[in-house]
Amino acid sequence: MKKWFLVGISLLLILAVAGCSKGKSVSSDGKQIVTMWVHVSDDSEEGKVYKKRVDDFNKKYESKNVKAKIEFIPRSGNGGGYEDKVNAALTTDTLPDVITLDGPNTAAYAKSGIIAPLDDYVKDQDDLLPSIKQQGTYKDKLYAIGASESSVGIYYNKKMLQDAGVDLNTLPTVDNPWTWDQFMALCKTLKEKYNKPAIDMQLQSKDEMLTYALTPFVWSAGGEILSKDGTKAEGVFNKKPSVEAMTFIQTMLKEGYTTRTPVKQAFETEKYPMKFSGVWTVTDMETNFQKVDYGVMPYPVSPKTKELVSPSGSWQFAMTQKSENKEWSAKLVDWMTNKDSNLELSRTIAALPVRYSSEKVLTKEFSDQMNVFMKQLKESGHARPVTPAYPQVTRAFQQTIDDISFYDQNKNIKKVLDTRATEMQAAIDKANR
Amino acid sequence: MIKTGLKGSKTVYTFPGTEKEAKNRIKWRENVVAYTFLGPALLLLLLFLIIPAIMSVYYAFTDYYLLTPDTRKFVGLDNFINLFKDPIFLKSLANTLKFVVWVIPLQIGAALGLALLLNKQRKANTFFKVAYFSPVVMSLVVISVLWLYLLNPNEGIINNVLTYFGVSAQPFLTSPKQAMFTIVFVSAWQGAGFQMLIFLAGLQNIPGDVYEAAQLDGMNKWQRFIYITLPLLKPTSIFIFITTLIGAFKLLVQPMVMTQGGPVNSTMTVVYYIYQTGFTDRMVGYASSIALLFGTIIGLVTLAQRKLVKEEDD
Repeated sequence: MKKWFLVGISLLLILAVAGCSKGKSVSSDGKQIVTMWVHVSDDSEEGKVYKKRVDDFNKKYESKNVKAKIEFIPRSGNGGGYEDKVNAALTTDTLPDVITLDGPNTAAYAKSGIIAPLDDYVKDQDDLLPSIKQQGTYKDKLYAIGASESSVGIYYNKKMLQDAGVDLNTLPTVDNPWTWDQFMALCKTLKEKYNKPAIDMQLQSKDEMLTYALTPFVWSAGGEILSKDGTKAEGVFNKKPSVEAMTFIQTMLKEGYTTRTPVKQAFETEKYPMKFSGVWTVTDMETNFQKVDYGVMPYPVSPKTKELVSPSGSWQFAMTQKSENKEWSAKLVDWMTNKDSNLELSRTIAALPVRYSSEKVLTKEFSDQMNVFMKQLKESGHARPVTPAYPQVTRAFQQTIDDISFYDQNKNIKKVLDTRATEMQAAIDKANR
Repeated sequence: MIKTGLKGSKTVYTFPGTEKEAKNRIKWRENVVAYTFLGPALLLLLLFLIIPAIMSVYYAFTDYYLLTPDTRKFVGLDNFINLFKDPIFLKSLANTLKFVVWVIPLQIGAALGLALLLNKQRKANTFFKVAYFSPVVMSLVVISVLWLYLLNPNEGIINNVLTYFGVSAQPFLTSPKQAMFTIVFVSAWQGAGFQMLIFLAGLQNIPGDVYEAAQLDGMNKWQRFIYITLPLLKPTSIFIFITTLIGAFKLLVQPMVMTQGGPVNSTMTVVYYIYQTGFTDRMVGYASSIALLFGTIIGLVTLAQRKLVKEEDD
């Protein structure tokens, strides 16, 4: 009896241990397998493009005895899903050969040795746009290549503006942007005409969108979130330009030009005349809201510096350090971001190009609205700060926006900035140890 | 034959390897069967609860940072010292206590009220019991998303109804003053059904004659409630109080889905902060120390509670 009991328990344990072993890196037909995780679902448009490119890769290199396998792990709203799985795989040493990662995570992953430098394998880097190279570089080595670029602008309803007496020819362009004051004057006209907020600034989103879209205001005012080497937040984030940028946002709220709780799809259903959103909304408008005749305006600029600044950066492909097949993993990274992949992705999800070669082709194909985004990105794109403590830094920034949006309780903007800068500094110090 | 004992005045003899040994063998077999059935569950508990808990206690005294697992080193009480200086942790603790203090009377009161209403034998009661219990079996995530829509300041039904009756639309989850209380209400709504059923069982255990006797003695409904129902419900109430209390301390899903800890950290709870620090910020060592501290606090509260209850009984 005792014997059978022990046998049973040991069998269970053996099964448990077997289940934890690493997957094979050679398939049944003797091919080398290169595994890749992507952060989108397989039935999204982006996912379909990635799947097709993997199939094309396998077809091209069929004779070389290598096979790429793709796994889809969609990310959820506040960073769960994909990022959690990557974090979990870190502890159990089960990362795939290639992963995708959002731009700001490059520093953290590179510093910790999770992703490997690509310089030895990807020799031709000149075709890559400077913002893509900057985003994927850490300590002068290229670790990741962007799959697509992205930008944010102001969508406006042409008819609603015209009905309010605005001459569309006077609207700002990338070459001639408006200042914050000029922009607020437009908002005032629109608010008075329609008795609703003039623009949906997506202030209700509690995620990376806030950081992505609103940091350019700080930069336009001549400020920074972190010092250039990424080690200082105190004395950098809580300086005068940040106060000016936050005051602008607070004024927009106080005057009712925008709101903390916008009606859902207010711009798309023609309730609000303007919306602050990323280039990805173009696809949404074309697919679901074709009725709306819209244009795109660039960011308004600080009246002091008159400098146009817009965000840049998006998700990238990188090769993991633990990959046993570095040559082919790097080739796969290169393949997923080469000219053909880039063109296919940009055409499908209205993403901006990452290479000079694809940019040349797309300028001719893109609509006017897309070209505004592309020009704005090229001439004023600014990447988010580089630091291994990015999750805490971006959260502190989002909470700054949250705090100042409650303008009655947080009239002292400098105080809010001081608190949040201290938080960022503590996180950075911890991560840089 | 061996003399094995005395039964009354008779001497009992058994053959070796028979009655007594047979009894032992049966007992042994029963134990083996029991442990074989328990085995898988015990193994899972060990692997996924006990071992991680022990590991977490160890990590609480290290600076374990997920991205650099090899540089993990022992730092003694550093994490705990930093905890007490951490304004977000202190706020999350205050928020959690606020939630506990508000949700317990609301949820238990509602459960008791519903149980009293449904204590009679009416046909419609089955429908009501099912209706009030159904939120309990729904996933907390589903409920949170549902209420998120209902409470939307612009398009939510609740504000639409309020403005129809002339009451101004409320910010609910978007206001630092109202957010936590809104979550209290949603949580009480969800949990009350479960405690209602337990109260019902407790109420039905009270024999009807006690009430009859009290009525004959001239007690009115209210007095009957205070002097008979409540005291006789005491064991049930204590059980419900402890389980609700422990459940309330663990608040995570509602703030995570509805407010992400905001606005202005007014709905950040301790468990949510542990998740954020450990998984999003990847500072596993620090998160483990919060977990250890929090677990200790809950343990102390439970102990204090049991002591108080015991004293009352005496």
